[in-house]
Order: sequence, then C-alpha cells, then structure tokens
Amino acid sequence: MKLRAIHRILSILILILFSFSCASDLDYNQVNDIKLEPIFISNLAYFDVQANQFVTEGVEQNVIFDAPTVDVFSEKFFTEKLNRVDLFFEINNTINRSYRMDLVFLDRNNQPVHSTNLIVPAYSGVENIVTKTEIFQNATLDLLKRTTKITFTLTMLAGPPLSESSVGSIKLRSGVTAYFVVE
Amino acid sequence: MRKKILIFVLFLTVGSFSQNKQILYNFTSVPQSLLTNPGSDVKYNWYFGIPLLSGISTNVGSSGFSAYDLFADNGVDFNVKLRNVVFSTTRKDRIALNEQIELFNGGFKIAGEQGDSYVSFGVYQEFDFMSYVPKDIAILALDGNRDYLGKVFNLGDLNVKAEMLSVFHLGFHKKINEKFILGARGKIYSSIYNVNSTNNSGYIYTIPSTQGVYEQMIYSNLQFNTSGIAKYDDEDYDPNVVKDITKRAFLGGNLGLGFDAGLTYYPKKNIQLTASVIDFGFIKHTNEVESLTFKGTYKYEGVIPKFSSGNSAEDGYQEFKDAVPLDTLYADYTTWRPTKFNTSIQFSFEEERAEDCNCLNYDPETIYKSAVGAQLFVMSTPRTPLVAFTTYYRRKIFNSLQMKATYTIDSYSYKNIGLGLSSMFGPVNFYVLADNLLEYRDVTKANSLSFQLGLNVIFKDSKK
Repeated sequence: MKLRAIHRILSILILILFSFSCASDLDYNQVNDIKLEPIFISNLAYFDVQANQFVTEGVEQNVIFDAPTVDVFSEKFFTEKLNRVDLFFEINNTINRSYRMDLVFLDRNNQPVHSTNLIVPAYSGVENIVTKTEIFQNATLDLLKRTTKITFTLTMLAGPPLSESSVGSIKLRSGVTAYFVVE
Repeated sequence: MRKKILIFVLFLTVGSFSQNKQILYNFTSVPQSLLTNPGSDVKYNWYFGIPLLSGISTNVGSSGFSAYDLFADNGVDFNVKLRNVVFSTTRKDRIALNEQIELFNGGFKIAGEQGDSYVSFGVYQEFDFMSYVPKDIAILALDGNRDYLGKVFNLGDLNVKAEMLSVFHLGFHKKINEKFILGARGKIYSSIYNVNSTNNSGYIYTIPSTQGVYEQMIYSNLQFNTSGIAKYDDEDYDPNVVKDITKRAFLGGNLGLGFDAGLTYYPKKNIQLTASVIDFGFIKHTNEVESLTFKGTYKYEGVIPKFSSGNSAEDGYQEFKDAVPLDTLYADYTTWRPTKFNTSIQFSFEEERAEDCNCLNYDPETIYKSAVGAQLFVMSTPRTPLVAFTTYYRRKIFNSLQMKATYTIDSYSYKNIGLGLSSMFGPVNFYVLADNLLEYRDVTKANSLSFQLGLNVIFKDSKK
C-alpha cells in the first residue's frame, strides 16, 4: 500500500513537471537582423622631416615630394562595408619657415580623386601645431575608396634661408577613423 | 508553440554539453551505466539494446547566457540582445553540446568459479561541440577599437572545437572477489569530421603615441584545424554526404584509440566506492586535413613618405599581409578526446530481508531499498577542467522500478535537480533520465539540460 502511494505521488509529480514545462517563443530568424557598427582607428601616415633635409649642398630644396601606395580603402571588404571615414592630420612645425603641405589622392590610373592642403606658419618659439579633420561620406567616400596612392608634397614658403645646420623639423601625424556597417 | 518546443528539443538532440551523466553514473539497473564506469556492479545474464533506441543521450549547456537571452521573441532588437550577451559574459563562459546515439549495444556474463565476468560491446555515434565565448574578438566586431584605447584584445579568446565520430567499443569486467570489481573498455574512434582551434594566442592593442597618432600592434598565433570537411569547399566536388559519412563512421575516417577503466569496491556491506576514467584517448587526423594559420607580428605605423627618391612606394597594408599571412597547411594533427573522471561514495540502508537472501551477495540494489551518495565529475577541456559535484538519493520503488534523484552543483548551475527512472517489465528495461528539472518551467531560459532515454532487453539470473 505504501509503495503504491509513493508510486502515485511520483507519477503525479512527473505529470505536474511536464505539464507545467513550457518554452518561451524563440525566433531564430532574428539572426538576419544582425547589424554590426564597429568603429576602428588606425594610423594613416607619419613623417618627421629635419630642417637640413631641405638643403642639399648649400642650396635650398623648396619642394619635396613622395607618393606612397595606400590601397587599403580599395580592398573589397572596405569598399562594401565602409560607411564613413574621418581623416585626421596634425602638423607640428619647429622650423623657422612656413610650409604648405598638399595631399593628392590618386586612383589606379593616377587620376586625382581628392586633394587637400594645410598651411603651417613658421616656428617662433611657441608650440606651432596645425590640425585638420576631413570627413568622407557618400559621394566623397566613394571617391576615397578609389584611392590607391597619396602624393605628399611639402612646399617651403618664403622666409629666412635655411642651412645644413638649421634646427627643427616638420612632423606629420595622421590617423584614420573608419566607421563600418556590417549587415 | 508546440513546434518550437519540438525544434528546441531537436536542437538539443543534435547538439549537447558538459557530458556529465550524473544520473546514469552507477545507476546499475541500466546497462548503459557500464559506459560511464566499465567496473559498474551490474547484474545480468545477457542483454542487448534495441538498435538505435537503446541509448539516446543529449546534453546542452551554456554558462553565462541562455537561448532565451539571444532569441527571445520579445520585440527587443536582436543587436541589443547580442550586445547584452557579449558584455555580460566572460571569456570563461562556454557553450557545449554533446549527443550520443547507440547503434547497438549488448553484453553477456561469463560465469566463473572465483566470480563472474561480463563482456559488453557496441557502437555509438557521438557529436561534441564546445566553444568559449570569444569575448574580446566579439567586442572588436561590435564596437571596433576606437573606444578601447589602451585595451589589449586577447586573440586567445577564440577557442572552439567540434567533432562527429563513431565509437566501437569492447569492455570486460571482472569480479575479483566479493568486494572488488574491476573493468576496462577499449575504444576505436572513427572521426567523421573534426574542427578545432584551441591553442590560440595573440593580442591587438592601440595606444596613443607621439610618433604617429597611435602605437598599434598585432601579434597573432591563430590556427584552425579541420579534417573531413576540406573537400566540400571545392566547387568542382559533387558531394555525396550520406556515403561519405557512412564510410567514415565505419572505420573509413580518421582513426583513434582510447580506453575506459573503472572499479567498484565495497569496504563494508553497505558502503560502496566507485571510480572511473572515460575516453582517455586520441584521434590522429591524417585524411582530408586542412589547416588555416594566421601567424605573425606587425606594428602598424601607416605610410611613411621618405621624400628621398621621390617615390618610396611603401605600402603598409601589403606589409601587414606579408607579416601576418593567412596560410593553408595540410599537416597531420592529433586531437585528444575530452577525458572524463567520475568517482562516488554510496551508503545503503533499509535492508530488505528477502526470503531467498543470498547473504554473500553484496549487490546493494537487491539487499537495500535505499541509498544516498555523492559523486564527483571532472572533465578535461581546452582550459580549466570542468567540475561537477552531485549528491543523490536512490530508491527501489518496486522490484521493477528504480529511481535516482540527484542534486548537482557545477559552473552552469547551482540548482540542478535531476531524476532518473528505470523500469523492468518482464525482460524489457526502459529508462529515462533528465536533469535541470527546475528549468523545465521554461526550457529556453535553461543554462543546461540533459536527457537520456533508452530501451534494453535484459535477462537476469533466474536464481537470485
């Protein structure tokens, strides 16, 4: 009799357990709604040109130029997922001359797709920093994505002459903030 | 609703977790308990499992979050839920699935003068999946690095493995004397496919710098091994999945060896000690292996115009791709099976004085109606071992119905109550074991669930 009672209680317990068991509605299709919006920061460019690099054998070189490859924006992942790019430029000039820096963004056919410039005054003993931030979205971003090369041109403007022993440097720090949308 | 429960249960069946079979362990009225301890004190003349129905076992677990947290149909944006899950978990949280289905299983007794011996054998199919939450990589994907200046992202958070295999086993168990039973089981593993990426390390950080805007460093030592799936990547290959799986399941796959060992010891008539080691073994992957590596170190400074020769043509991105290349290797590799260790102590009481009592027989199930005990389970994982502690109460309700109730504490839950029932109707043994019963209030919110059931035909000694 006792056994039967235990059995009965047990059966009822099991029955209660399974009849009260339930599952909330789940919707696995929500995975399709996934939208990632990461924001990455990275270096774009850097240089630190000493004053005496503008002087060759006693003669001033007023224009120096370089065109390194920058094809990261044209990578497939970037062209598809990039939504906005901020480029940040900072020039710190400690040379007693003023400068103009021209940047020209070139596509694979060496055609310019974007250009920008910064003018930095001559150093006079106090901190001498010029910054500029450019934002690329929509049409301007599409142009940026075609970039495979950037030409850097530093033009020294008129001022007191430099010699091989002139001090100071002109320093560029440039960073990228890339806004992605991955759906 | 009903359909969704079904899908969920199916999901449980396909995947499963901690592999702790705390209810089955030492529940000797179920012959499958021999698979958790080859030295279990079983009693039968011979038995066989109903093919495909004798042992169905699933186990899912997820510490840190549940299916409900991610997939609840509650109007909350999925991306919000995903963020909540990522930011509320740690790199130690994991998802694990384990599933086993016995194709066939059987055993018989060899009567001996000193003591009986038992042979058991069978084939089962098993699926294992385990992944830690790749927390830092998930943060990078969700937020990027802009708001994490100075944080070192740990690439070692990526730790995942999955394997489908079939296991051929043959076990032998011998009663050394009235107090001591020893058992061992040899296993041949036939891996159907394997994916594993468990020995990763590396980091990425970005900190402010005076030279350049940032100091940005990546050190990566990532490797992703696969076997048995490479050819499905090939577009020209016309796959015949069923044929491939069948062939590999029956020793045509990557093979491995392993063994189980276990014992049962009665220091006193009503005290029982047991211990077992399960799946101490490895698989050597030599067929259809393909590994991806992403290894290297790179400090990203951006482009640095030199202004010297007019065109320095420096390309930081190409340099990065050269420094941390994505390579494909075809080298053999070895994986270790997750090894399980069980031990238990049991005190039996409520002695039953059967008329035909064989007082030399130490079997606690025939002499004692009730027992309490404690069990410890430890399983090797790619990081710290998984530990679970169980206390239980076992009771013979009728001669034909045994019950075992368990309470388990582990890293997934501290309120895991389980119940197992094993019945004998004539020679037919039916068992059903389920744990985390409290979670059945809403299975989608459960952090772990396991379920085992099966049908066997058992012939016991006519003489008790």
